[in-house]
Amino acid sequence: MNPELFLQLDRVIHEKGRLAIMSALAGTPELSFTELRDTLDMTDGNLTTHIRILQEEGFISVAKSYQNNRSLTTCSLTKAGRKAFTGYIDLLEQIVRQNKL
Amino acid sequence: MNPKWAEENLKTIRTLMERSAIYRRALAPIMFVCGISGLAGGVAGWQWQLNSNLDFVLVWVVTAIFALSCSTLLVRQQALRESEPFWSPPTRRVAQALMPSFSIGVIMAGVFARWGDADSTQELLILIWCLSFGCGIHATGFFVPRGMRWFGWLFVLAGCTLIAFLNTDIDLLRTFHSPHLLMAAIFGGLHLAYGIYLYFTEKKNPVA
Repeated sequence: MNPELFLQLDRVIHEKGRLAIMSALAGTPELSFTELRDTLDMTDGNLTTHIRILQEEGFISVAKSYQNNRSLTTCSLTKAGRKAFTGYIDLLEQIVRQNKL
Repeated sequence: MNPKWAEENLKTIRTLMERSAIYRRALAPIMFVCGISGLAGGVAGWQWQLNSNLDFVLVWVVTAIFALSCSTLLVRQQALRESEPFWSPPTRRVAQALMPSFSIGVIMAGVFARWGDADSTQELLILIWCLSFGCGIHATGFFVPRGMRWFGWLFVLAGCTLIAFLNTDIDLLRTFHSPHLLMAAIFGGLHLAYGIYLYFTEKKNPVA
């Protein structure tokens, strides 16, 4: 097994919670904070922490707006985030292929 | 490191991506079409005195087919406008969620049209349709935002209310003058009310 591939995995995305957030956002143009929380079964605090890290990394963008007099936070993948996520998936696929050899 | 780890991670990612793909087509126009179809079907059935079991089933099957066809056209129009596939994964999941409950409604309609002869046949059919439709709509709620599950519960509640009335001296069909008007009130009325709610609350420029 080539350990190089493991080392190339993005450390920010590789964390379980953040990978889940990135995966969920990759499947849809945007998700509200509540939808993300419910889909991933995460606590508000945990989700907020991971979102902040991903936002600082430039992988996701967070937009705040108002809908029916309620504040609405929506998250979406940025171009850089999608590229990083695609790269991460490519690496995983390479690892899988390598294991099958 | 477990060699299966990467494969399992990919599977989890795929599942999460599929689960998060929510159906986001604008539902208000669809609800309006279904509501108006329901009201029109009810009034037509009542005015033309289509009161036999077979006529009753036919009126509502035709109404349902009409409403479904119009809804499909609206969804297709929205997909074309967004340059997206009509049969997108969220659309497919919504259709799959509806299928079992809708099938029960159709099968029961056939059974009642062919063999139903009791006085309460049409009332029973209405309550079965309410319950099966409510369950179907509730099932779609896992892939559709904006209170779809509550909408499903309203139909289930309507069905349960009809069950409760079956055990009383109150003749609901007589109160509504016709089973068609009871259907119009439940199916047409609830769709229209939900359509109005969505019209004022639904996010503009939705995507699938």
